[in-house]
Amino acid sequence: MKKVKGILTGILLTVVSLISLVPFWFMFSMSTYKSEMIFQGVPIVPSDYFLENLRTIFASNFVQSYGNSLFVSAVSMVVTVLICAMVGYGMNVYNFKFKKALSIFIMMTMMVPSQIGIIGYMIEMRNIGINQTLWPMIFTWFANGFGAYWMISFIQSSLPIELVESARIDGASEVKIFRSVVLPCIKPGLLTLCLLVFLWSWNNYMIPLVFVNKQENYTIPIFIKSLASAYRTDYGAQLAGLTLATIPLLILFIIGSKNFIKGLTAGAVKG
Amino acid sequence: MKKTHNKYKGAWPSAFLAPFCVCFFLFNLFPILYSFYMSFLDWNGYGEKTSIGFQNYIEIFTKDDLFWKSLLNTVKIGVIGFPIAIILGLVFAAIICNLVHCKNLLQTVNFLPYITTPVAIGMIFTFIFEKHVGFLNKLITALGGEAINFTGSPKWAPLVIAFMIIWKCTGYYMAMYLAGITSVSEDVYEAARIDGASRVQTFFKITIPLLKPVTTFLVITSAIYAFQLFDEPNLLFTNQSATTVGGPGQSCLTMVWNFYNQAFGANPRLGYASALSCVLFIIIVLVSVVGLRVMNGKED
Repeated sequence: MKKVKGILTGILLTVVSLISLVPFWFMFSMSTYKSEMIFQGVPIVPSDYFLENLRTIFASNFVQSYGNSLFVSAVSMVVTVLICAMVGYGMNVYNFKFKKALSIFIMMTMMVPSQIGIIGYMIEMRNIGINQTLWPMIFTWFANGFGAYWMISFIQSSLPIELVESARIDGASEVKIFRSVVLPCIKPGLLTLCLLVFLWSWNNYMIPLVFVNKQENYTIPIFIKSLASAYRTDYGAQLAGLTLATIPLLILFIIGSKNFIKGLTAGAVKG
Repeated sequence: MKKTHNKYKGAWPSAFLAPFCVCFFLFNLFPILYSFYMSFLDWNGYGEKTSIGFQNYIEIFTKDDLFWKSLLNTVKIGVIGFPIAIILGLVFAAIICNLVHCKNLLQTVNFLPYITTPVAIGMIFTFIFEKHVGFLNKLITALGGEAINFTGSPKWAPLVIAFMIIWKCTGYYMAMYLAGITSVSEDVYEAARIDGASRVQTFFKITIPLLKPVTTFLVITSAIYAFQLFDEPNLLFTNQSATTVGGPGQSCLTMVWNFYNQAFGANPRLGYASALSCVLFIIIVLVSVVGLRVMNGKED
């Protein structure tokens, strides 16, 4: 009886995992077909057109779009994580007048999605004169409520305050303490948040959709979409582009998944 | 400890907190306030701004059928999709938490959909659910059934979106619940086992009550997420015909899509769209406050 139950559970979990994975396989497998051939059958087995599809996307401005996406995500990641770490440090080691209020305020910022203000944001960027650049896609992450909240609770649980105190007694400046005591100490948290912000930025669709209006500024999602309208809709090429945009991220994630999931859930579950 | 805290009362806290506060004001708060101001204007983004008072809001609540439709669609998709995803996440977490071998593997595999580019999800699901060439319909016809127009009928299309949500979020919810289960002390389960509780009993009497904080968090964040739905429906239908806004019969026009279309569509009405976004903002705040109250209120 117990064995039967075990087997049934095994089958159930396998099916569920397959449902999670099959679309990825389709994506990869379809990217190896010529567009016209994709719908002839069910493309379960990869075909031989992958290189052709790659040639197609490399002939358009795929490389530039990829570069743009990398640039946007990398800058967003570094600055956002730094800002969040600073908030986390400030909220944990200092006492000041409006600390309680600020803490509630940060909780609340977590609940406000950035799309709400996107029209005002667009007008603001237009008036500053940078709506034609990549910067609007970067600035939007800087004050990330979730990141700040998450960093506060991470530092609270993993930074021994005595370490900071003893560094102070040794006469280290606050900046130095932050840089050479605190940051190394919270490395796992920093890495998790890095991956998270990178992912959000890399996958973001709506903000580029609003701001990108010329080819030089395409990010990956917009580039893929542009393939649908430019000439005929080249599904094969689109999927090849998506494969190249998704696979590195998946690999990165699988390598760091244990810490990533652990970190992500630890921050959130506490709240 | 208090002493050292006080010693550093000076400028340092501000120095560390300022970047966040300044950026929040510049890139989040100010745009929202500006949208609020614009919601009282009639403005297409370039021409003359005309102040029209509450006219936009009056139009939304009294004349705009599309607004009510988008609200209904959003609620419908959200109510179908998220509860199933949360329940499945909880059940799977309860099943795999006792596994020794493939626990991490299963967690990772099922987490993958959550980190995938929405563009990819949109395309793949189009290929799966499309009427003539979609794989699912090929399977159905091969089995002797009749092809169903999943992405072309107002009846099915919202269900496809709901399915996309379930596909995307279940693994994430599962990971959250797994973390929650792991943090529950082993002794509690041990005691239950000694008292002769079955696994099902343990699940309902121990796991669910102890995971309430996780559930609260997930319900509220997913409610907020539901009112932000845009990527999935938009991407599912843009690859088909570019002209349809909102999918078949506008059955998948979510609130954000509606407001996006008013603001950046063919006929931009920035003032009106701002008013829509302000209404959305109020809805989200209400939902989170009410959600928190209800979920925490049950305790006492």
